[in-house]
Amino acid sequence: MSSSRPHTSEGVSDTERSLLRESVRGLLAARWQPERAVEQSASTQAIAALWRDMAEQGLASLGSDAGEAGLREIVLVFEELGRASCPAPLLGAVAANLVFAAQQSNAARAMLEDLHQGNAMVALALGAFDGDPSAGRVVMRRDTLSGKVSFVEGAQAATHVLIFTNTGVAVFASDAPGLTMQATPGLAVPPFSEITFENTPAMQLSVESEILADVALAARLACAGRALGAAERAFELAVDHAKIRKQFGQLIGQFQAVQHKLANCLISLDGARLTLEAAAEARDNGNPDWRIFAASALAFAGPALRAVSIETHRALGAIGYAEEHEAPRHFRRVHADLVRFGGAPRARAELADALLGPVQ
Amino acid sequence: MGPAANAFRQEVRDWLAKHWTPEKQAAHRRKPFKERGWDVEFSKLMGRDGWIGVGWPKEFGGQGRSATEQIAFITEMANSGAPSQAHGTAESIVAQALFAHGTKAQQDEWLSAIRRGERTFALGYSEPEAGSDLAALRTRATRDGDDWIVNGQKLWSTGGDKAEYMWLAVRTDPDAKKHAGISVLMVDLRSPGITIRPSLALYGKTFSAQFYDNVRVPAKNMVGAVNNGWKVITDALAAERVMIGGTRMARIESAFDRLTEYLKTAEAGGKALRNDPVIRDRIGALAADIEVARQFQMRNSRLVEQGKVPIHEGAMAKVFASELQERLGQAALDILGTGGLLSEEADSAPVGEMEQVLRHAIMGMIGGGTNEIQRNVIAQRGLDLPR
Ligand SMILES: Cc1cc2nc3c(=O)[nH]c(=O)nc-3n(C[C@H](O)[C@H](O)[C@H](O)COP(=O)(O)OP(=O)(O)OC[C@H]3O[C@@H](n4cnc5c(N)ncnc54)[C@H](O)[C@@H]3O)c2cc1C
Repeated sequence: MSSSRPHTSEGVSDTERSLLRESVRGLLAARWQPERAVEQSASTQAIAALWRDMAEQGLASLGSDAGEAGLREIVLVFEELGRASCPAPLLGAVAANLVFAAQQSNAARAMLEDLHQGNAMVALALGAFDGDPSAGRVVMRRDTLSGKVSFVEGAQAATHVLIFTNTGVAVFASDAPGLTMQATPGLAVPPFSEITFENTPAMQLSVESEILADVALAARLACAGRALGAAERAFELAVDHAKIRKQFGQLIGQFQAVQHKLANCLISLDGARLTLEAAAEARDNGNPDWRIFAASALAFAGPALRAVSIETHRALGAIGYAEEHEAPRHFRRVHADLVRFGGAPRARAELADALLGPVQ
Repeated sequence: MGPAANAFRQEVRDWLAKHWTPEKQAAHRRKPFKERGWDVEFSKLMGRDGWIGVGWPKEFGGQGRSATEQIAFITEMANSGAPSQAHGTAESIVAQALFAHGTKAQQDEWLSAIRRGERTFALGYSEPEAGSDLAALRTRATRDGDDWIVNGQKLWSTGGDKAEYMWLAVRTDPDAKKHAGISVLMVDLRSPGITIRPSLALYGKTFSAQFYDNVRVPAKNMVGAVNNGWKVITDALAAERVMIGGTRMARIESAFDRLTEYLKTAEAGGKALRNDPVIRDRIGALAADIEVARQFQMRNSRLVEQGKVPIHEGAMAKVFASELQERLGQAALDILGTGGLLSEEADSAPVGEMEQVLRHAIMGMIGGGTNEIQRNVIAQRGLDLPR
């Protein structure tokens, strides 16, 4: 089982991690400025151009070599994407890298090369591993695939689609015959998409379901990391605001009602960060209990970070409620990422399975 | 937890297996609840074998264990149910203060007695007019030759009816600003002029009011310089928080383990409780929260090991764990129904001490600085919000 495979991250020190954080933050500060982030997120060209820059920094290979970067580093980069409200197609890239690092495939090599050079962008559908019962199903018949998957992020800009099936994974070009895509607008911005397949020819690879489950869990942690980055950024804006905004002749940050809510937010943010990092670290150290730690982190982060996001808005008042302010995009990101893939209820169920045994 | 800590844990377990025998456990359980946990003879036994002062620096006769190992030790002790309250306050709070502020003579005399389990303490901080606003305390000490003469009243001292000494905060300069006129005395509770009045607190143990009427305390029992007591108290409070945090977590984890063990086989109306989706959801949420609380506690230990004092981090751990304890207690009552109201003293109680978990949670939210005060600390020290 993949669980016992040691993912040593001995090569990655705390110093290297903070350098990684700085470099990603620097890149995004230059290329994905808050004033233009929403507009750029709607442009597939802007996303593609950024992706090439990220690839140049080696970020498109995240997950392909556990010695270079483990789950801790993956989560860290997702946090930075969340802070910057950047929809770079990293989720599909990381999933592809993790799957193909566990399961070598000649057929996938060309796609991976394109991916690492920043030419390919992969949208990810977890299929049976999604955790959301409405996320759709696909059926493989010989070399073609039929069915529908929903709630796929980054599909509009993607060059490829990676789908988890019951027997492994399938990869398509996004212009493959019989493949249609439709954006589904909602709280998530950019919107999710629905992808329909009708006898679409696919490259398939059989992969053990334990490996797929672990990659899916890593993807959930990555998304929680992105939500954490977004929640934390919005919270910082709220704290800064509380230190300059005056009402009734005093700073609103002096009101104890405001102080206590912001104190609660800090507890939630730190709790989410500590558990997320502990889960990722456990996985990188090959500790099989990492799945329990991951479920704990996800079960906590869901309600806690969503509450932070709400409190942030309350502290900012109307100024933060305008879509041109940064806060709304973080609100959207936090909720979309934490409701996705079964969210906290699924994580709580996983913990109950571990503690009480599965339902009989 | 690394291999060194695990080996240490085993050492603790071996010692407990040998000395916290089934006979002693049975005798302990026969005592009324309010008497449990405070056992001077057992403290002396621990002292004899070097188990008091596990985290003290070696220069003071301790084992010099890391914060992580100390937590392992506290956890093993709490899980075993062995009594450690008699020496707990002296070992943690009094000793911490003596390391930093004691004279050489005080360190030589008091630390070695504490380490042997021979000098027990309670804390005398709170007063009728000084709860959260501790610096408003009024108990007065005036100098008379080689003695201080103490007059005043203290409240809610845990173990105050059992301890031999009071770690007493007194006002020595009534004209100075309120934080600047405070000093700390170690007061022998057998001195003439002291009246102690215990009352039973909701969690099942006593705390005591004390009245001081012209009580003479030798001047050599003052810790730190005259009027420098606020510093002595706040340094020691940080230590208190880490210690209490460790004990509280161990209690929460063992109560949760008992609850989940029970749920594995329990039935209601012919249905296995463990299959109930509402119960499963709540157990999952609590498990996640326990992991969060553990991570907060581990962060505190890491900070202590780096030589830092966790201030707002300590406050976060305390707030989160005490409120988690409340959620656990409330969940247990919902899950167990009326049976959850029975204490372990009732033979038919489904899981012992679950209602006590809830009663005890309130103490955690009030004692050691209320959770509102902790949130002030988090906001003002952690987030730098304006006062
Ligand atoms: C079981 C138990 C054991 C104890 N053991 C000891 C002991 O051994 N030694 C000892 O000296 N004391 C002990 N105490 C006392 C404890 O330290 C005090 O109860 C605590 O500091 C709070 O003081 P208070 O009870 O007077 O409440 P108050 O200070 O009167 O507070 C009442 C309410 O007002 C709120 N409040 C007060 N000030 C503020 C503020 N600035 N901002 C927001 N809210 C505020 C509080 O949070 C609380 O909700 C113990 C208490 C308990 C419950």
